[in-house]
Amino acid sequence: MLPQQKMIRGLVSVLSAGLFFCTASEALAATTEQQERHFTVKDSPIVIINNIVNGRIEVKSWKNSEVVVTSTSVPGKVAIEVEQVGDRIDINASSLVPSSQPHEVEANFQLLVPEQTELQLRTQTGVILVEQVNGDMKLQSVAGDVHLKEVSGYIIVKTTSGSLVCTLCSGKLDFNSISGGAQVLQPSLTNVNLMTTTGNILYDGDFIRTGLYTMNSGRGLVEVRFSGTDSFDLNAQTYRGTVDNQAKDYLKPESHGGKRGSKYAQSLFGTVGQGYAKVELSSYSGTIRILKRN
Amino acid sequence: MQCKELEAVLEVEGLSPLPPDAREHLARCSSCQDLLADLSALVVAAKRIPAEVTPPDRMWISIRAQLEAEGIICDTASVIVSPAPWWRGFFPFFRPRALALVGAGLFLFLGSVYLVEHRGGNKVATNPPPAQTQPNQPPTRNAPPPAQANSAAARKTPPQQTQSARVLKPVPPRPSSEDLLPSPSENAYLGDSAAVLNRTENSLPRRELADNAAVDASLRQNLRTLNEFIAECEARLKQDPQDQLTREYLNMAYQQKAELLTAMMDSERSEH
Repeated sequence: MLPQQKMIRGLVSVLSAGLFFCTASEALAATTEQQERHFTVKDSPIVIINNIVNGRIEVKSWKNSEVVVTSTSVPGKVAIEVEQVGDRIDINASSLVPSSQPHEVEANFQLLVPEQTELQLRTQTGVILVEQVNGDMKLQSVAGDVHLKEVSGYIIVKTTSGSLVCTLCSGKLDFNSISGGAQVLQPSLTNVNLMTTTGNILYDGDFIRTGLYTMNSGRGLVEVRFSGTDSFDLNAQTYRGTVDNQAKDYLKPESHGGKRGSKYAQSLFGTVGQGYAKVELSSYSGTIRILKRN
Repeated sequence: MQCKELEAVLEVEGLSPLPPDAREHLARCSSCQDLLADLSALVVAAKRIPAEVTPPDRMWISIRAQLEAEGIICDTASVIVSPAPWWRGFFPFFRPRALALVGAGLFLFLGSVYLVEHRGGNKVATNPPPAQTQPNQPPTRNAPPPAQANSAAARKTPPQQTQSARVLKPVPPRPSSEDLLPSPSENAYLGDSAAVLNRTENSLPRRELADNAAVDASLRQNLRTLNEFIAECEARLKQDPQDQLTREYLNMAYQQKAELLTAMMDSERSEH
């Protein structure tokens, strides 16, 4: 082997080793760090997470009077500040450096809270998941979905494009989104207000007596599946869409409020049972479907 | 001395040596002893608070980014500081966020004006225009003459109501809300809100708002969606200004757009 070839081979080896070390050190730097913090609380705590980076927020309840916050993030990229003031716990996650790698500006949270807890959660793209928590909650997301299971209280959900799935929820629900949809399954909600511009809405469950239910979608589908024992007055209107009434056998002409007319060709007024609850559905150009579930 | 008097003494003189009568009361009153103990604990705790608390690095980064974003500081080169002219003080009022706030305020104000106009319709009838109160109009066959009617009204109503009863005329029933034409104030607030929102939208930077392509894409896509929907509703209202459903959807779309623009501006600032 010529000395020149030897020199080139040596140079290539050194460069390769350098490249390897650079990559390895970068990978090491990007590893996530997990932190767990415990906060003792007395009564019903309020937990506020303002996650202005991306990330998943998962909240579950337990029997202890303690809030446990477990966070994972890339150290040096995301700053996480947690503060307790009495029964209020404030958690802030923010980006420390501009980064083009989405996973680097990410903070994921797992929380264990007492059953009676008030929540205010905000994130950008991660999922928000709340299970078995009783208390008022305000949940905000840009593109992340919101999953609620067995929660109760006054629930406010605001998303830009994220969708809501609310299973076995009770209390009051207020959902507002531009392109996200909403699915409300087996609820015990007394007051529901769902509004989306292009998303779809599905309400599959009972209407509680004296409850008020308003569901509006600009361009999406609004579908309501009620049970045979329900009792509500229905008002459904659409400007350019259609009203698909698959419950003609159950829907009688409206018995309250006298005769009502609508300028919209696609409108439907009727009563199921005694008409105790009030259900108002509208869509600008989407379909409204009413059916009795089996 | 009573407890309230002792509290007054503590408010005025603090924990400095108390007058003899106050000390005498304090010696036999347990609640005032507790109060004094709490105050003493507060004073001790206040003295332990450090004079300066070092804020975290993130705070400085955030403040610096905010100042740079607003053009208050510039880190490219040293700038010769000259006294700012007085009219520069008005600049913050023309920033997008301030404009958005002004727009929201205008929106609420005009909305309330609209509500007052439409719900206060019966009150307007108590001050009808002079043409309606002229006595030259022939009385209807079944109605009593004006004087008779007035005296009848005076007998049935308290004296302070007779004046308004005299000028009251039958008011034709108001049409239902679905048939109402949009009031000028309603049209004005829709137009103003649209203008403010469009100005805010135009002032958004073209570059990526958040350091996250997914968030940026979602925000911009939803803004396009809203603009399309608003255009559709506005086109419909040009055809039929009385379309209440379209008007409600247009209002909701404007509200969503205002919130979305605020979120976009917040994303831009928080990432710097």
